[in-house]
Amino acid sequence: MVSYMKLILNMMKTLPHLLLTLLILSSCMTSPDETPVNGELFQGLGYKPIYATGAELKNVNITTSEALRSPGKIYILDRYLFVNEMGKGVHIIDNSDPKNPKNLSFISILGNYDIAAKGTWLYADNATDLLVFDISNPVEPKLSKRIANAIPMHNYPPFQNVYFECVDNKKGTIVGWEKVTMAAKPNCFR
Amino acid sequence: MKNKFTKPAGAALLATLFFFWGCAENSSKSEMSPQSGLGGSMARFAITGNTLYLVSKETLEVYDITDGANPVKATSKNMGMGIETIFPYQNHLFIGANDGMYIYNNQSPQNPALLSKYTHIQSCDPVVVQEKYAYVTLRGGVACRNWFSQSSLDIIDVSNPSNPVIVRSQPMLSPYGLGVSGNRLFVCEGDNGFKILDISDPTLAIEKFHLKDLTSYDVIVRNNRLIVTGNKGLYQYQYDDQDQVELLSKIPVL
Repeated sequence: MVSYMKLILNMMKTLPHLLLTLLILSSCMTSPDETPVNGELFQGLGYKPIYATGAELKNVNITTSEALRSPGKIYILDRYLFVNEMGKGVHIIDNSDPKNPKNLSFISILGNYDIAAKGTWLYADNATDLLVFDISNPVEPKLSKRIANAIPMHNYPPFQNVYFECVDNKKGTIVGWEKVTMAAKPNCFR
Repeated sequence: MKNKFTKPAGAALLATLFFFWGCAENSSKSEMSPQSGLGGSMARFAITGNTLYLVSKETLEVYDITDGANPVKATSKNMGMGIETIFPYQNHLFIGANDGMYIYNNQSPQNPALLSKYTHIQSCDPVVVQEKYAYVTLRGGVACRNWFSQSSLDIIDVSNPSNPVIVRSQPMLSPYGLGVSGNRLFVCEGDNGFKILDISDPTLAIEKFHLKDLTSYDVIVRNNRLIVTGNKGLYQYQYDDQDQVELLSKIPVL
């Protein structure tokens, strides 16, 4: 087992060699076009990119407050608590009294997973763009700057050993991935 | 499991490093400037002083935010590997990548320099650091790990950040974010709940509590308070040295 791991580690250093070696290995076991390099069989499930067009992506809205549905990462600044709604935006919460946190506002941002704040400024990802919000009034945050293409993105889902529909950049920017049943094996795998 | 470590990059670098590390230990315990906030260990964004760091895809993007309204790109470091998380601690950046943990010297905040890389089997790994030790969770299963499917908590001696050394690897269920404060370590175990561990001996994490119902993804620890998110909502707790854990509030998922 240990020597096998060593072998793998060595192979990982030289990816082209790895691919070649595994192609040879897998061709010994099964037909390479049936089984991908590490032997994961297609079982009818795959990841499908969720695209947003330029206009949809840039549609940033502020609402009074929204219920939590799929809370993700958190960030605290002074008495404020910022909670990411995965892929959807940021909840701003007044946490002066942690026994009674008050939901102040929600910024809807497609493809948002990360946040950081300093002073009166909140930074958030909008898929590939970096947004800056003025939060001097956290009840009514204001979008003050958009830096386009600040955040490089993968053209594959954030998982490994998975099949996925290959990305077509002409369809828009990827703001997420959904796991769906697929009638046929998609062309991409990682 | 085999772990590989990069060798020190050379005597000159090592000398510089000792110099900087010495400064780091002497300067202060507060790694955050007063006006910036604090994120959890799952973060891909981090702020220290006037610098905003973004890790994404295979790069570390560095922005000057002296003028908070107008971030100005300072540099971009290509790391050649998928990046998942960033955790600033004192004068270092600890970056969780698909192939391990990278340590950058952050003495020059807008031009961080790579010191070392702690390599393990592929995984997506949040990291937190306290004094000499880094705590890294490695999640097995479908999400990120390619060759191994066992989850663990690894404790790594980073007292010499150019030569991180693993001191222990302990099994975990399905860990995500984690937090550390004093003699307590907190680990989000996804659908498997939330754990409070005793690290009075910082090289050994002993489970004190396993809150099985508290499904958890990310945690922030500050001033004996816990802020936890999970698929049931946002939970806040207070804990004390006698291990009394009190729920302060929850905002449930609707």
